[in-house]
Amino acid sequence: MSPTTATQTNAQAIRRGRLLRPLRIAGGRTWHTPGNPNGRVAQLLQPGAAVAVGLLFLVPILWMLITSVASDADVFTFPPRLWPAWDFSNYAKAWGKSPWLTYFGNTVLIAGSVVLLVLITSLMAGFAFALMRFRGKGVLFLLVMSAMMVPQTVLLIPNFIIAQKLGWYDTYLIQIVPWGASVFGIFLLRQFFLTLPKELFEAAEMDGAGPLRMLFSVAAPLAAPSLVLVALNSFMGSWNAFVWPYIMTKSDAVRPIEVGLQAFYGTEGTDWTGLCAAVSFTTLPIIALFLFLQKYFVTGVYGTQGSVRG
Amino acid sequence: MAYLLILPALLIFLVFTIGPTVFTFVVSTFKWNWLNPDQNKFVGLANYQMLVDGSQDPPFAATLLTSGYFVGAMVVGGTAISLAMAMLLRKAGRINVAARTAVFLAHVTPLVATSIVWVWIFNPRFGLANLVMSWLGIPNIDWLGNSRFAMPAVIIYSLWHEIGFTTVIFLGGLTTISTELAEAARLDGCNAWQEFWNVTFPQLRPVVIFVIVVSSVASLQAFTQFFMMTGGGPGFDTATLGFQLYQQAFVFRKTGYAAALAVVLFGITVALSILQLRTTRSLGRNA
Repeated sequence: MSPTTATQTNAQAIRRGRLLRPLRIAGGRTWHTPGNPNGRVAQLLQPGAAVAVGLLFLVPILWMLITSVASDADVFTFPPRLWPAWDFSNYAKAWGKSPWLTYFGNTVLIAGSVVLLVLITSLMAGFAFALMRFRGKGVLFLLVMSAMMVPQTVLLIPNFIIAQKLGWYDTYLIQIVPWGASVFGIFLLRQFFLTLPKELFEAAEMDGAGPLRMLFSVAAPLAAPSLVLVALNSFMGSWNAFVWPYIMTKSDAVRPIEVGLQAFYGTEGTDWTGLCAAVSFTTLPIIALFLFLQKYFVTGVYGTQGSVRG
Repeated sequence: MAYLLILPALLIFLVFTIGPTVFTFVVSTFKWNWLNPDQNKFVGLANYQMLVDGSQDPPFAATLLTSGYFVGAMVVGGTAISLAMAMLLRKAGRINVAARTAVFLAHVTPLVATSIVWVWIFNPRFGLANLVMSWLGIPNIDWLGNSRFAMPAVIIYSLWHEIGFTTVIFLGGLTTISTELAEAARLDGCNAWQEFWNVTFPQLRPVVIFVIVVSSVASLQAFTQFFMMTGGGPGFDTATLGFQLYQQAFVFRKTGYAAALAVVLFGITVALSILQLRTTRSLGRNA
């Protein structure tokens, strides 16, 4: 499925009056695809193979959970004991050894701020690029899109120097502001706004609405499904971020959860029950989020695919 | 008005992305002093000279080879496996949807977190990987500490983490291809294998190219799993370009040389991105 078809599907859905659910439709369609019946043997083997593949991918997660409730003696035996010992004290032990609440708080603060900034900047820039006419629009759009080509690793050295020059080293700011605009977000919203009928805005203009009111009271509510995708994309990026906050900060007071987890791994490297407990309680929130918002995650994959189109 | 709407995003990109990219080129022509910027010395292309003559440890050519090993395995393995899995799970139904969820679940887990789990799985004495090996009658392997097995171990983890993403892309691609052609082929007596290679795969080719490009860009920049699982070792056996860039700049403090590595990485990424733009354009045309 190409991004063009995705936007076309959206446009069709909108024309059919299903304005608020185009992305759900796209997600649902790809997640539950009717396929072709294969040969009889394949039909018998297929469910077994599917179950095997699914379980194989779950093994590391299950092993993490099992080790997190294993007793220390069980961990250091070979062959390993595969059945859980239900020793939940590992969680208390791991929780007491690091300032996890601070890490969680920092992650929520940083991810929340990044999401808020990204939503605002994407709405504004996406609106301007889709619906307004101004000089240098093409060049500016190209400039924004080109930002996507730069790998994060390339940016580490210069931004480390810039962070120190700005006095932003080891602060929340350096973890928030540079990620406050997203090419993916701008592109996705521009694409969405392009699908809206021009009459909508002409009518608003007749009513005397300026561009700002048009953006925030007419366009933004309609863009809700795209905004969810953009928010989710930024939130996940922020939560999973490691190398940037690792380089740009040094104190626990501002460090996010994954950097904290790495530090815990550094000091407790052989306490496997404690480590697996820590990995579990830092990762289960993300897994829960995924299970609740699965369709949006999947649609997001096609959104990323779309964001690479010029 | 339009400019005001664009300004915040543009400012962020200029200060933290586009400006720094240009700045990287500048830094790459200096012997950069970490502690005292006043002692920065312009050295022209000397840092690039070091890339070519391989005078640094590890030599640049070795880093490229290591990266090539990882990128090659990720692209070939990732594309083949995820295409096979998309074919396996393409039909609707509870079991398939659950299996897709399990596969994609691995992809959403944080790299730091699941790298730790896999270090435990690859533990040389008590690990799950060696349990599987013992079933096959193979003696314990020091996965992450052995120069022959360290890279394959990181590749296995990375495949586990990335395949969910590419499988979903293939599943999306499969929804757009014609079912009539497949039916016609079956009426003509094609078996499943022939049908795949002669009917399905040709229609899927743009998606395959897209997946190849996307996974080469992503694996070229891979860093966190190397940092967590091997630290680039043993020796420099798993020190890929992305990892070397970090290590040279922030561990060895050879900032200028690391910036030259960054320029190389940037160049390869831009080339791949342009290729990607072209393929997605043609993908749009075909769809």
